[in-house]
Amino acid sequence: MSIMSNHLTTVFLFIFLSPPLSLFSQQETNITPFDQELKNKSAKFNNEANFRKSRTFFFERNWDSTLVYSMKQLNDSENNTELIDYCHFLRGLSFQHKKLFKEAEKELSTVSSVFEFYPHTYMILGVIALEQRRFQKAIDYFKKTEAYTSEQLSGIKKSNIDHNLGVCYLHLEQYDQAETYLLESETLYEEQKDTLALIRAYGNIANLYYNQYKDDQAIPYFTKAYELSKKTDKPGLKVNTALNMAVVEENRKNFPLALTYRKEYEKWNDSLNDQNKVWEVAQIEKEFAVKEKQKEVHLANTEKKIKETQRNGLFYSAIVLLLLLGTTIYFYREKVKTNKIIVAQKENLDELNATKNKLFSIVSHDLRSSVQALKRSNKTLSENLEAKNLETLDTLLHTNSSIVNGAYNLLDNLLNWALLQTEQSYFEVTSLPLFLTVEHVAHNYKTLLLEKNIHFENTLSKSDKAYGDQESIKIVLRNLIDNAIKFGKTDGFIKVYIENTQDTYCNLIIEDNGIGMSESTRQNLLKKEIITVEKENKDIIGSGLGWQLCKSMIEKNNGKFSIESELGKGTKMIISLPKTI
Amino acid sequence: MDNVHVLVIEDNVAESDVLIQTLKKHNYTIAGTAANFKDALTLFYSAKKIDVIIIDIFLNGVPDGISFAETINTVPNASKPFVFLTSSTDRDIFERAKLTQPFSYLMKPFNELELLYAIELAVEKFYEQNDVFSNEEEDTVISSEYLFIKKGKSLKKVLITDIIYIEVEEKYCNIITEKEKFVILISLTKILKLLDSNTFCRTHRNYIANVQKIEEIVPADNLILLTGDHRVTLSETYKDIIKRARTLR
Repeated sequence: MSIMSNHLTTVFLFIFLSPPLSLFSQQETNITPFDQELKNKSAKFNNEANFRKSRTFFFERNWDSTLVYSMKQLNDSENNTELIDYCHFLRGLSFQHKKLFKEAEKELSTVSSVFEFYPHTYMILGVIALEQRRFQKAIDYFKKTEAYTSEQLSGIKKSNIDHNLGVCYLHLEQYDQAETYLLESETLYEEQKDTLALIRAYGNIANLYYNQYKDDQAIPYFTKAYELSKKTDKPGLKVNTALNMAVVEENRKNFPLALTYRKEYEKWNDSLNDQNKVWEVAQIEKEFAVKEKQKEVHLANTEKKIKETQRNGLFYSAIVLLLLLGTTIYFYREKVKTNKIIVAQKENLDELNATKNKLFSIVSHDLRSSVQALKRSNKTLSENLEAKNLETLDTLLHTNSSIVNGAYNLLDNLLNWALLQTEQSYFEVTSLPLFLTVEHVAHNYKTLLLEKNIHFENTLSKSDKAYGDQESIKIVLRNLIDNAIKFGKTDGFIKVYIENTQDTYCNLIIEDNGIGMSESTRQNLLKKEIITVEKENKDIIGSGLGWQLCKSMIEKNNGKFSIESELGKGTKMIISLPKTI
Repeated sequence: MDNVHVLVIEDNVAESDVLIQTLKKHNYTIAGTAANFKDALTLFYSAKKIDVIIIDIFLNGVPDGISFAETINTVPNASKPFVFLTSSTDRDIFERAKLTQPFSYLMKPFNELELLYAIELAVEKFYEQNDVFSNEEEDTVISSEYLFIKKGKSLKKVLITDIIYIEVEEKYCNIITEKEKFVILISLTKILKLLDSNTFCRTHRNYIANVQKIEEIVPADNLILLTGDHRVTLSETYKDIIKRARTLR
């Protein structure tokens, strides 16, 4: 009996909307007559994009997408009632296929009574009730459907309704009713030559009789179903019919035959299982392959990522290294440069220091001898004072004063030298009145000139002018005149005059007819280095500092300095200063 | 001709003695000696007849000399020509001293020529008539009050209001005052420009007369009689002076 009921439920599933595979296997197309009807009638809403999509998905049996797009269409506010009905209808069908019966009932109940497929809703509701095994309710729905004409039930076959009703009554064990309806559907199926439906119908009729223990009536139907199923290629049907035959023969105690049927059943069942298994294995293999592929892809991705990271890391570290290298080289070169400068500066400083030391020693030596001479002279002076030797006193005083003068000049030069080196001194180039400047300087040497009886001549005119700083030019003139007197002959002359031979410079010349100097001394005097002068006259005080001072001062005044001299004949000191415009 | 009056500001007695001796030797009159900033200011404002000031920059170790010059420079028209005395050419000090325009200085140690030259230079610069005394063409600087005339190595001054008339002779000018008569070297155009045109009027191509000294104008004889029996010619070109004389009376 358990086999029976199982068998029955299976049959119900195929009745109305079951996949076309079972009901319409002869037709290659997936479109059922009902679908065709639905398609034609709803075509007028094709301009509604969401509905169109929803409908297309419905025909493709894609229930989820149908639900999504129909909902979208419903959310669109400007729908007319018919469109809304279509949407609910499609949703109801979709829910039914997804076995969400409550949702399906809800959707279908909202469909208005004027809707074209309104009768169909009863049919579908009936099927749902049948699925839920609420047979009485199902009968109510199917009865309502029966009331409509076949025109109104376009796409639904009368045979199906009858068959469903028959099944319901069968389950309710109202065998009379069931018999009527099932036989009716059988006749209709035979007319339609719907083999598959016919097999089910035979099966159900056989069950009907068998349950009433009318074996004689039942067995021919079982045999019919079995024979018919042999002609089909549906293993499911074959299994069912074979099993039914086996059970029937068993109950008739005809065991050999039952065994044959049972074997046949086993065979078909195996083939069905095999088919399922093969399909399952294929499915699993496919899944496995997909998984493997997925894994490979994932691995490849990971590898790629790792490679990328490695490459980036290498790239960045290379850049950092390069930068480091660049910086190091830069700093190294800077350091080398600085070192070079420092070395050069050091050499320069050493040289200057040596010069300074030399200067110190010479100056202090000169000063010491001056002061020494003064000391000695003072001693003699006091001795003579005691002896009241007045005539000697006068000469001694003169000597003293000349010694002091020499020392003073030396100190003055030293001071000016220091000031020049440190650039602390005020220096302003102006247009200098040369005549007066020479006069002013020469005024200090009047006594000296008289003593040596040297004739001093300043032949400049008051209008002679040149650019220079007054104080520094005075220092130069003082030194040059002092020298001219020092190295001049008694009864000689000193001439100061101007030679205007150049365009930009005027030459101020101080000429004497003194002892002069050798060419080498002249060259030495004009050299850059300080105090290289070997004194030709040891008894005349002088350090050479005066010379250097003159050269530096004239240079600072943008002038030039030169000497013309001949040993024993005299010297010409030439100062070239920028002319005034 | 009067001596030029010199105010000496010097804190070292030995040095101021030498300075005064030299100045006196060249006929300068010492208007006073000050050894510090305060005394110097008092002397400057009390003694009326100061013509030139010699200022030692360092008074008792601080550069008060410059402060003094800055102080007297702040009162317009009260300042006098001055010379800075200094023993160092220290740049900072010089830069500051230079701001007290006009700036002339004298470096210690100096000889008399340098001293006299410095004074002359200060006067020239102060009255903005440069290169007068060092020039052979001219020997007189004219201020609003005095003529400063170089006589030999030194300077003399003549009060302008003492001048009765000036007779121009080539590039010389004969200056006739009540007491004396002397010749200065100056061009006619320059003297006309520098003298106050309200006081001095040209009467002839060769004469400039002090209007204040006119006693009588005799247009018939083309003569102007001046104080002290001096007379100058009045030429046709300059007869406008008659109108001016009348309005003056």
